[in-house]
Amino acid sequence: MRGSYSFPIGPERDGGVAMSYRLDRAARCGEDAGRPRVDALIGRRPGMKEISQMHLSRRHMLGGLGAAAGFMALGGAALAAGKTYRIGVTLPLTGADAEPAHLILNGILLAIDQANKAGALPGITLEAMVLNNATTTAGEYDPAQAATNARKLVGDPGVLVNIGPEMSGSGKAMAPILSMGMLATITPSSTSPSITDPAFAAEFDPGGKPIYFRTVTTDAYQGPDMANFYAETLRVPSSYILDDSGAYGVGLADAFEKQAKAKGITVLGRDRLDPRADDYTAVVTKIEASGAASLYFGGGMQAAVKLVKQCHDIVPKIVKGGGDGILSPEMVTAAGFPAAEGWYVTSASPHLAGTPALQKWSDLYTRTYGVQPSDYSVTAYDATLVAIAAIQSVTKAGKPLTAANVRDAIQASKVEGLQGTIVFDRNGDLAQHMVTVFQFAYDPKYRATDFPHQYRYVSVAPQN
Amino acid sequence: MSPTHILLQQIVNGLSLGAIYALLALGFTLVYGILELINFAHFSVFVVGAMAGLLVLQAFGLQGQSVILHGAPLVLVLLAALVAAMLACGLLGVLIERYTLRPLRAVTGPMAMITTIGVSYILVNLVLLLTRAQSLNYPDPLPAMTATFGGVTVSGKAVMIWIVAAILMIALDRFVRRTRLGQAMRAVAQDQEAARMMGVDVDRVILVTFFVASALAGAAGMIFGLYYNFADYNIGYTAGLMAFTAAVLGGIGNIPGAMLGGVIIGLIDTLGSQYIAAKWADVIVFSILIGTLVFRPAGLLGALAPNRS
Amino acid sequence: MIALPRPSRRQKQGLLALTFVLLMAFPLVGGSQADIDIIANACAYAALALGLNIVVGFAGLLDLGYAAFFAIGAYSYGVLNSFQLQPHWSPFWQPFASLGLVAKLGIGAAATVHFTVSFWLMLPVSAAIAALFGVAFGAPTLRLKGDYLAIVTLGFGEIVPIVARNWPALTNGAAGLNGIGPPKLFGWSFGVDATPYYYVGIALVAFLLLVAWRLKASRIGRAWMAIREDAVAAQAMGIHTSRLKLIAFATGAAFAGVTGAFYIAKLQTATPDMFDLPVSIMVLVMIVLGGLGSVWGAIFGAVALEILQAWLLPALNGTTQALGQAVGSGFLRTLDLTSASELIFGIILVVMMLYRRDGLVPAARSGVTLAFEQQDAPISHGGSNMPILGLSHHLTPLAVAAPLAVAVPAVPAILSVRDLSVGFGGIRALKSLSLDVPEGGIVAVIGPNGSGKSTLFNAITGLVTPQSGRVDFAGRALIGRRPDQILALGVARTFQNIRLFPHLSVIENVLIGQHAHLRAGPFGILCNTPRTRAEERRAREFAAEILAIFGNRLVPRLEQNVSDLSYANRRRVEIARALAARPRLLLLDEPTAGMNPAESHELAGQIAAFRTLGLTILIIEHKLDVVTLLSDRVIVLDQGERLAEGTAAAVRADPAVIAAYIGRRPADV
Repeated sequence: MRGSYSFPIGPERDGGVAMSYRLDRAARCGEDAGRPRVDALIGRRPGMKEISQMHLSRRHMLGGLGAAAGFMALGGAALAAGKTYRIGVTLPLTGADAEPAHLILNGILLAIDQANKAGALPGITLEAMVLNNATTTAGEYDPAQAATNARKLVGDPGVLVNIGPEMSGSGKAMAPILSMGMLATITPSSTSPSITDPAFAAEFDPGGKPIYFRTVTTDAYQGPDMANFYAETLRVPSSYILDDSGAYGVGLADAFEKQAKAKGITVLGRDRLDPRADDYTAVVTKIEASGAASLYFGGGMQAAVKLVKQCHDIVPKIVKGGGDGILSPEMVTAAGFPAAEGWYVTSASPHLAGTPALQKWSDLYTRTYGVQPSDYSVTAYDATLVAIAAIQSVTKAGKPLTAANVRDAIQASKVEGLQGTIVFDRNGDLAQHMVTVFQFAYDPKYRATDFPHQYRYVSVAPQN
Repeated sequence: MSPTHILLQQIVNGLSLGAIYALLALGFTLVYGILELINFAHFSVFVVGAMAGLLVLQAFGLQGQSVILHGAPLVLVLLAALVAAMLACGLLGVLIERYTLRPLRAVTGPMAMITTIGVSYILVNLVLLLTRAQSLNYPDPLPAMTATFGGVTVSGKAVMIWIVAAILMIALDRFVRRTRLGQAMRAVAQDQEAARMMGVDVDRVILVTFFVASALAGAAGMIFGLYYNFADYNIGYTAGLMAFTAAVLGGIGNIPGAMLGGVIIGLIDTLGSQYIAAKWADVIVFSILIGTLVFRPAGLLGALAPNRS
Repeated sequence: MIALPRPSRRQKQGLLALTFVLLMAFPLVGGSQADIDIIANACAYAALALGLNIVVGFAGLLDLGYAAFFAIGAYSYGVLNSFQLQPHWSPFWQPFASLGLVAKLGIGAAATVHFTVSFWLMLPVSAAIAALFGVAFGAPTLRLKGDYLAIVTLGFGEIVPIVARNWPALTNGAAGLNGIGPPKLFGWSFGVDATPYYYVGIALVAFLLLVAWRLKASRIGRAWMAIREDAVAAQAMGIHTSRLKLIAFATGAAFAGVTGAFYIAKLQTATPDMFDLPVSIMVLVMIVLGGLGSVWGAIFGAVALEILQAWLLPALNGTTQALGQAVGSGFLRTLDLTSASELIFGIILVVMMLYRRDGLVPAARSGVTLAFEQQDAPISHGGSNMPILGLSHHLTPLAVAAPLAVAVPAVPAILSVRDLSVGFGGIRALKSLSLDVPEGGIVAVIGPNGSGKSTLFNAITGLVTPQSGRVDFAGRALIGRRPDQILALGVARTFQNIRLFPHLSVIENVLIGQHAHLRAGPFGILCNTPRTRAEERRAREFAAEILAIFGNRLVPRLEQNVSDLSYANRRRVEIARALAARPRLLLLDEPTAGMNPAESHELAGQIAAFRTLGLTILIIEHKLDVVTLLSDRVIVLDQGERLAEGTAAAVRADPAVIAAYIGRRPADV
């Protein structure tokens, strides 16, 4: 029987205590014995990747920006004694999403550690208060647990800002509570547009001021920009659209469909896959019969592994693409070449390749934590930089250090992050939104399962 | 493609799917016929079969789609994997019966069924932990062969599934009809007490039934992996439910019924996806399941269910 | 197994009161918002477990689609208190608006309807909607055998989330409902504060606990457990099994529905994958761990699983990983125990089923041990010597009060069987059998094994359907009636192989015999009205009186499980259970089987005494001395046909009878 369904009620007694470690400890956590390692045996369950998360898209070439270099001294320098404030971190650290969550966590801890070491906040020590958003009951992120954690954060006056959550499903449960407590959160990866959409302010923002900030673009751009890419760059006349029943997949496919129609692509069909089913040949045969020139798939890897293989057998020639849900190692390890060859995928952030400073950051990350960073390690690092900068500006302005003041400072942020200058619009979304297109292409120089080397940068997706 | 071609192509798709469901359905039907037990552990034995076949193929050095074999080596490798999967699953089935179900045979109520759910959870989660929940790229040593008949494409793998399924079903039919053990199985299914009085070793017959049922599930798992080039810890769930529906539709306890039911469910699945919508295919199948049980519990061919008062 | 000392009633009440006070005080003495929220979530768990326990634990129906009703309750509230449905405003909505059920959004032509049905109203309404689905779904399926039901509910559990996913107009599809309104109390909104939800959660569990408890102790609860223990015997004892199964199914669904509304009001968002199969399995694991049928067990299971997952596994995880680091074992270091929780669920299910089917907090009492004086007390024979207080009084309305002396053939037959034929497959168990039983008489049926005696009883009581023939009881045709209807007409029976309800106590078994004569309805049971209490008290008194027929054989053992009784005592309980149904005709199938001669004679005397109460008795018996002692008339069956009929002495002398018995001696064994 399947083991991969979400169970909503997950009263973890205290998701936080076991995970909450002091920053100076975290600084050494690359070699720290007690810390759960990133490569821990992880029950990653494909059934659970629906809600607006993006998958580990470990970028092989991480360029750099100078901004980070400022606090890069990693040494044993004693921290200045003084007041301690906390930055909340809410991630699904166990279960299906544990692996990407730990990559994100590392990025956050790295930034906090560097700020402390560099004395960015004189007289103040920052500490990460890490809370697990996942429950074993759910086997993945659990909205009920996320709500519990939000209450814990709001109830603690020492918490100035939160980083997270990873998933929009958790975000929806947390946002109203954080809003009432006027505690800002910056998410490195949750991409559901509705949380920051003013149309849903009554649901997600009862406190009145935006508290949900992101250092990633939303699905409101990922799907449509890919449709633009299909229409303008690839010039496909027609398309067949599939989703995987999940909130993320359905949202992405809907957004793609709307823009594709607007761009004059004939949508020849729309179907929904059950990610637990194994045989999609009927649907793929239907695509073949429709004569569609392209396929767009909104969803995660559980359905994609099978879809990619069966598409290769039945419709090998048409254009195929999807969102960041399938920019995942499983594309090459489980779907594999030749089936994965040619699939286009998007990432909801700019392409960061090439610059030496980011490469340097990436090397530091890899050295410290023993794993390569993901895109969301970068966005998480950036989110933490924004948070620290906001705390800095509150102290510089001589205002009391409260969550509400930090929120105001975040809204006004202009911070140089690894991905460029980070500025938020009035809803809390990135003012600058860029969607990047990649394509899976077998490179015989590397092993076929060597994920970072088996896809290539194509272009920035056209915006309008 | 013309509408006729589409229909024929979907029928071809449905037959391959149906062959796998039928093999799996036979296991439900055999066990139910003898013990009146819905064996949820069967779902996970199928998964173990796929994994056992995978290990054997990997032991022959097959990884992904990189190695293509021809002729005798191909047949030998596939046969070895198939036999290994069937033996491993058969033994697993025997262990499940002996150690988790036999102690409960005299216990009434849903206890035995709850136990099979537990066994299923244990096995699936062991596979989950051992595979780290990854989807696996199932080796495919078959050369890509397709034949087109008037616009309808039939792949070599589909033909292979049909042949293997047909051979196994014929073998099962022969076994049940012609051998002493098979006759003992039928006797136990008819009336356990009477069979015992006639000198049939009922415990042994039940063990053999579990061996045969589980071996068939193992074979189904192995050819499933080959056909889809894919396996994960979760494949047993949908396939198991579909196969169970097939067994019920055909008449649970009825061996030809399970085969017929498998093919029908396979066809409903593909044709439903084509002509209604893929998203409703599961609802259609489960509605058939409920409808059959409510309106015709004996199924299409009628259950050979034991008559116990 | 360690037998814990059983707390006294007073200790239990004290413990309960203490727990209640602690729970009430917790948020006031500085429990953090997060801790309060966790307990509120735990309440939802416990509420679900209480409901499933009614279906699986009480009634023995394996429901694998329980989460579907949770979803239905959740979506009922979610849709009716959110912005999901926004029809155009029209005057039609005005009355609803004045009731506060909807609000007008916007003005003029663009105005829409915003559903704002109150949480407090939706609690019962969600329960009712879920129960309605339970009835609609259960009515056609509950007559299926138990194992089929499991698979049908599994299918239903699959369908509901798929429909929620694929019906965006109603449910907002996979993205889920957003902005579900929090409850309001006197104009004050609960908002996102955890404390009010905490108190609502505690109140909900307390209420459902009370409901479960009262149901369990009522005629309905006993009937459920009877169905669970032996559905055939339950039906033969007057229980309308399909209706009671339906009530159990609907009650469980209602529990899940009300929990759904509570849970979703607290979370303020709902997605279809919150209600998939693992939810149902998870709740099943809880009640299996606590003990199927145990009300406290359900709560224990919910709490235990929570502790396991929230605290124990993460703690163990840290320990094993640290250990792995210390001993340099990569395997231990990278082992993530928290992802093994479902493995543990599986192990719990298997281990509990194999070694501790009653769970860790069993429902059944562990058996009241008898004092030495009671064990050593001389056997009193009861029967006609005992004052059978009220029994004849109770029987009067149904039975003919005037005791009959030796039956006179002229007395009209109360039971008449005509040309009755019953067949199974190729075997014909009864061939055109006809017989009469005069009112007030004792008629014995004898014959070799396989001669069709028990089949005759089964045909009379509606357990098998004959191919042809008639059975009339007191002028009413019995064929075509259900066993429970036949019992209600006044025909009760015992079974050759004793079909008691083994995990229930002696008194409960006898109370179940009275099922058809008790009237308490769900309302009376839930409110524990004086009428219900009085009826229950009378029923217990009556049961005790009936058991007193057997002297001190059963009276000291009222609270023992019948499975702990001796074989002879089980026979006696089964007869008492049949008597409790206040029959006019009692069918006894080998009542003295397994008894020694002294016990047989004792029982024969007691049976003879029943006649003085106005009962008519049809008895199957092998012991010819008992037959001779008791019966006015003997009917000999052989191969489904009547071989001879007459007084015991006449029949014994009948050469055909001798031939049948002696001639087929080997087959008889």
